[in-house]
Amino acid sequence: MTRAFVTLDNIGKRWNGQLGVEGITLDIEEGEFVALLGPSGCGKSTTLRLLAGLEVPDEGQIIIDGTDVTGASAAKRNLSMVFQSYALFPHLSVAENVMFGMKVRRVPKKERLEKLHNALDITGLLGLEDRKPGELSGGQRQRVALARAIVAGQKLCLMDEPLSNLDAKLRAAVRKDIKKLQNDLGITIVYVTHDQTEAMSMADKVVLMKDGVIQQTGTPEQLYSEPATTFVAEFVGAPPMALIEGRALKGFKDDQTIGVRAERMQLVQAGQGRLACTVTDCEFLGAETFIGLEHPSANGLTVKLDGKAEMTIGSGVEITFADQDLHVFGPDGRRVQPENIPTVLEEE
Amino acid sequence: MSRFTKSFDTIGAVALAIVWIAPLVFAVWAAVHTTSDAVNFRLTSPWTLDNFRTAWDGAPWGKYFLNTFILVTIVLIGQFIVTTLAGYAFAQVQFPGKDFAFLLVLLQLFILPEVLIVENYAMVSRLGLFDSILGVGMPYMASAFGIFLMRQAFKSVPIELDEAARIEGCSRLGILLKVYVPLAKPTYLAYALVSVSTHWNNFLWPLIVTNSPDTRPLTVGLSIFGAPENGVDISIISAATVMSVAPLLIAFLIFQRQFVQAFLRAGIK
Ligand SMILES: Nc1ncnc2c1ncn2[C@@H]1O[C@H](COP(=O)(O)OP(=O)(O)O)[C@@H](O)[C@H]1O
Ligand SMILES: [Mg+2]
Repeated sequence: MTRAFVTLDNIGKRWNGQLGVEGITLDIEEGEFVALLGPSGCGKSTTLRLLAGLEVPDEGQIIIDGTDVTGASAAKRNLSMVFQSYALFPHLSVAENVMFGMKVRRVPKKERLEKLHNALDITGLLGLEDRKPGELSGGQRQRVALARAIVAGQKLCLMDEPLSNLDAKLRAAVRKDIKKLQNDLGITIVYVTHDQTEAMSMADKVVLMKDGVIQQTGTPEQLYSEPATTFVAEFVGAPPMALIEGRALKGFKDDQTIGVRAERMQLVQAGQGRLACTVTDCEFLGAETFIGLEHPSANGLTVKLDGKAEMTIGSGVEITFADQDLHVFGPDGRRVQPENIPTVLEEE
Repeated sequence: MSRFTKSFDTIGAVALAIVWIAPLVFAVWAAVHTTSDAVNFRLTSPWTLDNFRTAWDGAPWGKYFLNTFILVTIVLIGQFIVTTLAGYAFAQVQFPGKDFAFLLVLLQLFILPEVLIVENYAMVSRLGLFDSILGVGMPYMASAFGIFLMRQAFKSVPIELDEAARIEGCSRLGILLKVYVPLAKPTYLAYALVSVSTHWNNFLWPLIVTNSPDTRPLTVGLSIFGAPENGVDISIISAATVMSVAPLLIAFLIFQRQFVQAFLRAGIK
């Protein structure tokens, strides 16, 4: 067994007895892009801050690059961090902000200026050296924060929702930039986000959390195609997986929940479907149209149709789906493995 | 109605301004006229600088100016050091008894310094600082007002900046000096103004604790110079007074804009 680059072993942290995070166990390989995903308040930032050394865990062990850093200060962990608010020093210019850490570590001036130039070049900030953060746009500030993380030259970089203050268009562009940067520099990134699109499109490994507990760890494909719980099924994918109560379908137990993806459902003639529903909305996106459906014992039913499709809202339709496309969840919300499919481990 | 209140406001403001500035105007007026011209308000009478010459020759003003200057500088430096460290501790450091200690500091705000004069006198004597400039400045260095002000300023610094610096490997003192202090600059400026003008004009304590021209600040020197037994008249006293307050006034007029802005930015009004 090869040793992982970063290991979190059964980490727990509570705030005055209230739950922060619990039982966080996670291995991160060198060069991996790991996304911590989950709704607001689920403990993503707390996990990241524990890893950064900005909080001390109540229990568990943190190992970075072979060293136990559980109680070590942030400075001793050899990592860089990009904050949600960017945390740029407002009284320092762009150049001084980027060089802040190098000055603290007494890097010689010549090397400092070289690295500064290099980082500003990569992030497209050349020419803005003397501006103060207050004189930059949101996107530029974000780039300064990235540049500051780059020059630190650490192997591990932590990012806490770095794109949440940017508009949608910029976000897509910076997403690509960060991914490219990670490839070029070969660094390991732990990336916190509440946006599943971001996590799915960028990460090698997604860690989905809820209420301070990890729900599932896996590649984006694994989370999409084999959600471990109904929560994962509903959180991952756009549109999310539809969940149908077992008693509405033949051949399933009453207390089971059946999940099915929008692209696995077909509209069929009356009398041939497995479920009769009502059309509630029609969302045309260019290449495809999503038809929202309603059924008394189902949640989030959506059918994906290619191209443009017209449906009358309120009209009745029937849908069908193949048995092998169904995801079955037990009464506790956990995935039930069908007997004929060999069991796949959650973590690769 | 609103026009009436508005003009009423304006009249009130002007009246207050006149009352406030009248003594200063009179001092300047008296300083540049002979005594009889001054007290009889002969508006067309000729101006003279004789009063200043007489006053300047009557006492070691150069020494007094230097003493006051050293005094306000020492006090300010001491206050900056103490209030910065204490303010930071109260704002960002966790330690047992912090709230109680801060309460004690706040209590100090309610006690007039004059009440403590006897105690301070005994303490300064015990420290062997009687009749020294350091002795005059010492009791004011741990200023409760300053500590409170700095605590507020440091508390308003976003915690991410502290954390970002920590991750970069900055020491605690480094973070204080490189992050907190620069960000509290407007507060330092506003506080410096209050401190310098207070200690430039402070009188009672220096009068008690100083004993010789070598340590005496301007205010004490001025009062001794103006004492009745010295037989100087109103014009000469006025000239000496104008001389004493001039540096402060000039500095304020020059830096007026920055001072007002500093006060606004520091959130003290
Ligand atoms: N410093 C703190 N003191 C008390 N509770 C905290 C603190 N930081 C986080 N929490 C709590 O821990 C939980 C997880 O927070 P957080 O990790 O910030 O969530 P996320 O980043 O996923 O939105 C929340 O319920 C939050 O209220
Ligand atoms: Mg967060």
